[in-house]
Amino acid sequence: MSVRVVLVRPWTDAHGGTGCCSGEARDGICFDSRVDGPLEHDAEVELVAAAYLRLRDELPELDVQIVSANNTAFLLPSVFRTVRRRRGAVAALREMNRATTAGSVLVDGERVGSVLELGVEGVVTEVRRRAARLTG
Amino acid sequence: MPAIVVAAVVGVLFFLGYRYYSAFLAERIYALDPAFVTPAHRFNDGMDFVPTNKHVVFGHHFTSVAGAAPIVGPAIAVFWGWGPALAWIVLGTIFAAGVHDFGSIAVSLRHGAKNIGTIAHDVISRRARTLFLFIIFFLLTLVNAVFAVVIGNLFVANPGAVIPIVVEIPLAIFIGQYIYRTRSAALVPSIIGVIGLYLLIWVGQQYPVDLAPLAEAIGFDNPRNLWVILLFAYTFVASRLPVWMLLQPRDYINSHQLFIALGVIGLGMLVGWNTIVAPVVNDVPEGSPSIFPFLFITIACGAISGFHSLVSSGTTAKQIDKETDARYVGYMGAVGEGSLATGAVLAATAGVVATTADWQALYPDFATASGGAVGNFVNGVGVFANNLGVPLDLAIIFAAVVVISFAATTMDTGVRLQRYIVQEIAEVAGWHKLARNLTLSGIVAVAIPLAMALIPGGGDAGYTFGVLWRLFGTTNQLTAGLALTVIAVWILRMKRNPLPAVIPLVFLLAMTTWALFSQFWDFVQADAWSERWVLAPLDAIIFVLAIWLIVEAVGALRGGSARAYDEMGSPLDDDTTTTSTR
Repeated sequence: MSVRVVLVRPWTDAHGGTGCCSGEARDGICFDSRVDGPLEHDAEVELVAAAYLRLRDELPELDVQIVSANNTAFLLPSVFRTVRRRRGAVAALREMNRATTAGSVLVDGERVGSVLELGVEGVVTEVRRRAARLTG
Repeated sequence: MPAIVVAAVVGVLFFLGYRYYSAFLAERIYALDPAFVTPAHRFNDGMDFVPTNKHVVFGHHFTSVAGAAPIVGPAIAVFWGWGPALAWIVLGTIFAAGVHDFGSIAVSLRHGAKNIGTIAHDVISRRARTLFLFIIFFLLTLVNAVFAVVIGNLFVANPGAVIPIVVEIPLAIFIGQYIYRTRSAALVPSIIGVIGLYLLIWVGQQYPVDLAPLAEAIGFDNPRNLWVILLFAYTFVASRLPVWMLLQPRDYINSHQLFIALGVIGLGMLVGWNTIVAPVVNDVPEGSPSIFPFLFITIACGAISGFHSLVSSGTTAKQIDKETDARYVGYMGAVGEGSLATGAVLAATAGVVATTADWQALYPDFATASGGAVGNFVNGVGVFANNLGVPLDLAIIFAAVVVISFAATTMDTGVRLQRYIVQEIAEVAGWHKLARNLTLSGIVAVAIPLAMALIPGGGDAGYTFGVLWRLFGTTNQLTAGLALTVIAVWILRMKRNPLPAVIPLVFLLAMTTWALFSQFWDFVQADAWSERWVLAPLDAIIFVLAIWLIVEAVGALRGGSARAYDEMGSPLDDDTTTTSTR
C-alpha cells in the first residue's frame, strides 16, 4: 500500500456552511464567476496548491490528498486508525488533534510540519524523507 | 414496535439500495467508466479541481448536505402516521434521491464539472438557466423564512436555549480567530467550544431569556416576530463576514454536535428500547391535507432534495478522482440524509411520549401537528438523551440547542447564497448596480424572506409550518425536477434507458403541481388577506415555474436539445468534456 500524504487546506479556504439547503453550494449556483468569486483564493491556498502539484509531479508513487480542516468525518478516523496501528491510542489522539491544524502536512497520519512554514521545497524534501523511512 | 428495530430494517433497505440499485445505475444507466479522465484530473489546479480519495469527498459531501432540513419535514409528516412517512423516506431515498444525487455528479463530470444550472442551459434550453435561478431564488427565500420562524418559535418555547445559542456566536468567532492567528490545531479548541456550549445550557436554564415583555412594549403580538427581526439583522451582518471567520468555526462545533446527536439518538433508542406509539397510518380528521400529494412535498429533504444537485455539481464533481466514485459519494450522501430523516421520524413517534393517546394529543390536526413538529422532535431527542442518564430538562434544552445551532447555520449560509442569487438575477436582467453592490443585494436577500416570515396569521406557530414549509418543499422538489430533467435528457442522448430518472421526475412534478393547484384554491377562498393577497400569488408564481419546468422537460425529452453526445455521455461539441482515458 502506498504512503498517504494529506495536505490540510488553509483555514481561510472556506467556501460555505453545512446542511441541506444551505451547504457549500456557491459553485453550484454562481455562473461564470461573475459574483464575488467562487474561484478567488488567497496566497496560502495557492501555496498549498503549489506544494500539492509538486508532490504529485515529483513523487507520483505517493497517494497525495488535499483535505479541508473541517472534514472531520474523514480526517479524524483516518488519522486515528493509521497512527494507532504504529504508536498506540494516546499518540493517535494527539496526532488526531495536530492533524486539524490548517496547512498541515501529514505523512501516513503523522504531522511532519506545515506547508506555510516549510514552503514548497521543504514539503517535498520532508515528505520524501519520511516516505523513504516508512517504506524502508 | 421498538424504534431500534425499525431503524435496523431501514438500514438494511438502504444497504440493499446501495448494493444493488446504485450498482445497476452505475453500470447500466450512467455507464460509469473507471478510465474516464474526470475534470479533477483534467483541470487539476490543487485548489478547486483536485482528484480526491472518495472517502474524503464523501466527508465533504455529507457534511454539506446533512443538516436541520431533514428533521423538520419528517417531524411534521408523521401526522399521516409513521408508516407513510417512513415509506416515502425509504422509497424516495432509494429510487429518487439516490438517482438524483448520484446522477447530478455523473452528469456534471461529463460536462467539465459545470453546475446543474449551466448544464440545463446547455442541454435543455437558454431559458432553463433563468428558470433555475428563479426556482433557487424562491427555494432560498422560503428556507430563510422558515428557519427564522423555526428558531423564533424554539426560542419562545425554550428560553433556556437563548444564552447558549447567542454566546455561541462570539465563542465561534473567538475560536476561529485563535485558530487562524496562532495557527493551532482546530480539534481541541472546537471540542472546548462544544463543552462550553453545553455548560452554557445550565446557565441558560438558570437565566432564561424571554422577550415577550419587550415585544409587547414595542407592539408585537407575538415575541417570535421580534426574534425573527433580530435573526435577520444578525444574518445580514454575518453574511458579509468572510466564511472562515464565523461560519467555519461554528460549522466545526456543529459537526461535533451532529455526531453527538446521531450517537444520542441511536444509543438512546437502544438503551431505552422506546417503542413507536404513533399509529402506522393515522386516522386524520376530515379537512386535513391528504397524503397525496402533501406528504411528498412535506418531506423533501430526507426523501429527495433538489438542493443536493447544487452541491453535487458545484463542488463535489470537481473533486471526484474516478468516475466510478460518483456512486459511493452521491448515492451514500442521499442515504446519509435519509438516515437523518429516519431518526427524526423515530424521535417524533417513539421518543416524544409514552402512549398513543398522548401522541395523538400532540398531532390532533395538521396545524397543531405542524406547529409543534420541531418541538416534538426536540422533546423526543431529549427523551433519548434522558435514557442515557442526562436529566430530562437539561436533555431537552440540549436537543433544542442542537436544532437551533443547525437552523442558525442554515440561515447564515442561506442568506449568503440568496445574495449570490440576487446578484446573478440582477446580472442577467442587466441591473448592474444591484449585481455589484453587496449591501444592496444583501438587503434584498434579507428583506424578502423577512417579510415572508412576518406574514400575520396562521395561528400560534404562524404560516411557517402549515404553509410556507409546504411551499418550500415544492421549490425544493422543482429544483430536483430540473436536475432530473437534465439527467434524463443526458441518459437519453446516450441511448440508454431514462426511466430511472423519468419516473421520479414525473412523480415529483405531478405531486408538486397537484399540491400547488390544491393550495391555490384554499388560499383564494380563505378569509385572511395574507392568504389571498400574499400566499395565493406566491403559490401561483411557483405553479407557473412548475408548468414552465414541465414544458422545458417535455421539450427536452422529445429531442429539443440539439447537443450531440458520444455513447459514453460526453458532449461532442465541447473539447473540455470529451471522453478520454487515463
